[in-house]
Amino acid sequence: MTEAEVIKLTNEVFVDSFEISPSKLLPTANIFVDLGLDSLDVVDLVVALQKKFGVTIRDDERVRSIRTLGDLQQFILTIKKEIGK
Amino acid sequence: MQLKRVAITGLGVITPLGNSVETFVEGLARGENASVYLPEWEKYKGLRCLVGAPARLEDEKLIPRQNRRSMGRLSIFAVQAAQQAIKDAQIPTDALANGRLGCVIGSTMGSAESIAEAFETLIPDNDLSKLTSTKFFQCVSHTAALNVGQFLGITGTVMSTNAACASALQAIGAGYEQICLGQQDIMLCGGAEGLHPTVVGSFDVLFATSTKYNQTPKATPRPFDAQRDGLVCGEGSGIVILEDYEQAKKRNAKIYAEIIGYTSFGNGSHVSESNREAIIACMQETLKRAKLAPSDIDYINAHATATIQGDKEEAAAIREIFGAKVPVSSLKGNIGHTLGASGAIELIASLIMMEKSIIYPTLNLVEPDKDCQGINHIQQPLTKKLNILLKNCFAFGGINASLVCKREE
Repeated sequence: MTEAEVIKLTNEVFVDSFEISPSKLLPTANIFVDLGLDSLDVVDLVVALQKKFGVTIRDDERVRSIRTLGDLQQFILTIKKEIGK
Repeated sequence: MQLKRVAITGLGVITPLGNSVETFVEGLARGENASVYLPEWEKYKGLRCLVGAPARLEDEKLIPRQNRRSMGRLSIFAVQAAQQAIKDAQIPTDALANGRLGCVIGSTMGSAESIAEAFETLIPDNDLSKLTSTKFFQCVSHTAALNVGQFLGITGTVMSTNAACASALQAIGAGYEQICLGQQDIMLCGGAEGLHPTVVGSFDVLFATSTKYNQTPKATPRPFDAQRDGLVCGEGSGIVILEDYEQAKKRNAKIYAEIIGYTSFGNGSHVSESNREAIIACMQETLKRAKLAPSDIDYINAHATATIQGDKEEAAAIREIFGAKVPVSSLKGNIGHTLGASGAIELIASLIMMEKSIIYPTLNLVEPDKDCQGINHIQQPLTKKLNILLKNCFAFGGINASLVCKREE
């Protein structure tokens, strides 16, 4: 999966699950401050990403350090590469 | 201790006949029946009733996502009905969070659609990690009350009554008691329900649904009629604003009626079979608490869902207390059985009948069954001044409720 594909699919989750305008989906956008997600939304974000990418990230400690949309996209890319190995 | 008097000062509904009190009552006045054949239910094996009375889900995105995410269908209906009722009663926004305003809203259970989705997600792989965080809040039995409370920012009493088809009337009764006791000044009360095949199925397995009219849905349900064959499920929400009577008078609020008596009793005999003695006891206690004689009642809005057994028992109970004098009608022929919402939706219709001095008839009642005769069935619209009305609701589990309202002069 290319970086462009990961960005596209990740952004789809934010639009479909959290009704966020695509114009706000910048790599520097803070998931909590700029995109308005809260603790409940983060649970749902993980569920939606697992379904979208066919990955298991619920108990991955690295999820806790994610702050921006760019962080999240890079994390998904890393996970996909790890699975590829 | 001097109990406070309780006024009804606001009304709001989402119903199978329309999403405002005005459109709902217009539908009743036109004698409309919202029952339709639902082909999407054909896939359920063993479900014999394929008729329902759906409401229209609309404008839900006007509710902000972070409020809406914890709402199933029935909670959205409840929030929308509550908004209408608050506007109707002209409750100031700052009253919502002053600790003197509360809400009691019931439903048979949590959102049936959400519960079904949760199990469909969970069961195939026994995988809890696929469940979203907010599903729980859609599924819990107090989902309507919690969502209305959170959406409106209510900081007073927030409660849920979950007594199946008596839920809404119990909610209104509980709110009435809160104000009587001086514990709250204003209460948003009522019920909500969502139409779903699993809910219909709970009645269908007990042979309580209408099954002979799948191809002619407008001919069912038929409360008290000789050709009735069971209930049709509906959905929606009804919310009334209850208010300390003196406070309502002081602020010149419109008072639809005063609640002067309420009782909810169990039958102590059977979980699903209605029992005339228990219904009689509930209505008689309500009259006693309201200090009324049977002859004081001008109209009875019956529970009458069109089941063979339930209608027979209610008719017998009414006959025993009121004879053939007091006009009786059921609105189930128009909107089906809205279950946990029915007590509030049908009370609201009755209050408008009181305001307009008209009684809407029991739709589809052509020939009263021999077991349901001896009471004053209203089969055509009747012009009549209604000073005092009685509303009945009876629930599976043997829980009955009756409420009496008096016109404001």
